[in-house]
Amino acid sequence: MSDRIVFEDVSKFYGEILGVNRVNLAIPPGITSLVGPNGSGKTTLMNLMTGLVRPSRGKIQVLGYRTDDPENLFKLVGYSTQFDSSPKGLTGYQFLYFYLQLSGCDSRTAEQAAWRAIERVNLVADAGRNIAGYSKGMRQRIRLAQALAHDPKVLVLDEPLNGLDPLARSEMIALFRAAAERGCYVIISSHILHEVDVISDQVILLSNGYVVAEGQIQNVRSEIQEHPTQILIRCTRPRDLAAKMIESELASEVVIHNDNRGLLLKTRSADNFYLALNRLIVNGVEIESITPADDDVLSVYEYLIGNEEVVR
Amino acid sequence: MKTFWWRQIKAVVRLELKKTFFAKRGLWIYLVAALPVFLFMAYAMAVSREQGRMTEMAHEGGKELTYQDLLAVKPGMTNDEVVALLGKPDVHFYWTEHRHTSAQRIEDILHEKYNYSDGQHSLYVEFVNGKAETVMLGEGSNLIRDSIVFAGVFQFFFLRLGLFFGCLGIFMNLFRGEVLDRSLHFYFLAPIRREVLMLGKFLAGLIATCTIFVTSEVLQTTAFLWAYRPSVRNLYLYHNHGLEHAAAYVGITVLACIGYGAFFLIAGMFFRNPIAPTAVILIWEGINPFLPAVLKQFSVIYYLKSLSPVDVPTPPGMHPVLALLISNSNPVSAPVAVLGLLTVALIALCVSSLRVRRMEINYTTE
Repeated sequence: MSDRIVFEDVSKFYGEILGVNRVNLAIPPGITSLVGPNGSGKTTLMNLMTGLVRPSRGKIQVLGYRTDDPENLFKLVGYSTQFDSSPKGLTGYQFLYFYLQLSGCDSRTAEQAAWRAIERVNLVADAGRNIAGYSKGMRQRIRLAQALAHDPKVLVLDEPLNGLDPLARSEMIALFRAAAERGCYVIISSHILHEVDVISDQVILLSNGYVVAEGQIQNVRSEIQEHPTQILIRCTRPRDLAAKMIESELASEVVIHNDNRGLLLKTRSADNFYLALNRLIVNGVEIESITPADDDVLSVYEYLIGNEEVVR
Repeated sequence: MKTFWWRQIKAVVRLELKKTFFAKRGLWIYLVAALPVFLFMAYAMAVSREQGRMTEMAHEGGKELTYQDLLAVKPGMTNDEVVALLGKPDVHFYWTEHRHTSAQRIEDILHEKYNYSDGQHSLYVEFVNGKAETVMLGEGSNLIRDSIVFAGVFQFFFLRLGLFFGCLGIFMNLFRGEVLDRSLHFYFLAPIRREVLMLGKFLAGLIATCTIFVTSEVLQTTAFLWAYRPSVRNLYLYHNHGLEHAAAYVGITVLACIGYGAFFLIAGMFFRNPIAPTAVILIWEGINPFLPAVLKQFSVIYYLKSLSPVDVPTPPGMHPVLALLISNSNPVSAPVAVLGLLTVALIALCVSSLRVRRMEINYTTE
């Protein structure tokens, strides 16, 4: 599969310590988020797919390229790491310029591409300053610029929104979305679940080095049988509607909202519920909205992993 | 592809040179390289002063003397005989010693010291009661003899300590320094073959060490020759292989940078702490004369000693073990030495390229 990032039975051990174990993945284009608490293996997975660490077992291919072939791999891949250091004494511009020269660009191309990347992350005014004097957010942006500088097909971004102010966060998210819409593979690790929810096309949930679930979040949610699906309905006369639903046995539990303008129901068969919804609506009830209440990343994360360290 | 690699190598070299030449932690390397220059500058000043003193003595003496005149003075001659032969000395000291010969008697003994010079040699004569007891003929400065001193400093300080530790400081930090600074991933994230990266770093180290130590070597030679009269200098340089020797020292310096550089590049990839590998390499180089012939070939100093243009003689009475360290018991010819050293360096670089391919970024567990 040369149009996927493929992990085949990949394990990584650091001595006795488990990094990731028996990972099998085929990551498609779009934004894929790696979600998991600290130490769950997100960074290890990213380092594995960029060849910074080698798998103890298994095989990884990025769009058909082996990860121990950096010369070809990094023509396709841009990686914004969490490592905060850079070669000493370089300005932001030099950091990108030398990176592009290392990538084989001639001086003119490197110069143009460096400025283009600097503009994309809004760092033009500070490009001439030494990186050592940058704030955390500026260092994050210059690393993002490095990952974007050579217009890679695969963007691997480890906690890319850390240290950014809200405006910069939304700019970066727009940047990732635009890349995904161009057909790029954007792999993002984050423990800020509401952001993941907003930007991800698919998620990979990790816990203790294992992939717990992967895929589009709604599909992952529908696979979780032990937790009934929660559906939020805003409507008039919620009590009448609730009675009808209990009677039809499609809802296992219903909670009426305090404002008497809606209800939250739990069902073990969401598909059947939606099919029967029109039939169940009683005369005089006006439906304002119907929203799934627990097919977001946070809920899925809590169902599968539990209340481990996570930022909501 | 070659152009592409070459462009990458140039980028690595530029980055590394910027770091190597201006790194605060590398300042001691400049000091190590400058030490022998200071030594020979001090030597040149001392020789110059001594020559000036002897020239002055020769000019201000009553008679223009030759080396043969100085040689004619023997112990037992009276001061009148010496004055008749060499004239009144320009420098003349005397004092009287009151020596108790018995309980009641004190004998006065007259001590005199005469100094003469022909401009290049100095004669020192000490008289006791008018008779020459001590006659010392000093040779003054002698470029040919001093070139052996230069060879000794080059072999035993510059090569085995200065260059050795200088290369350690530069080459060992090419990868290890980046791991300590947690910045190696900058290179590993670029589309560059690890072997090309390794070669670029090695070349940068080589350019840095060669610039520092060849400059030091040229300055040492200049300082060493500075004190001598132009006629003596020209005679040495153009008729006594002086230029060839100077070129050989520069060549040996470059080869030492290649050889030690390749060794320390590997060491920097395998070890976080430099002490253990440095000690091992230092001991390995030190015990080279005692190693079997096959093992000797895997050492840098073995080839460099063979290339040395001036042999340092073993002082008489020296312990045989120490003498063996100084002498080169079975030297190889210059082409074999150059080829041998380059082959050893190439093997070391091949091992480095295998290692660099397997290197991981794992700062937390390093």
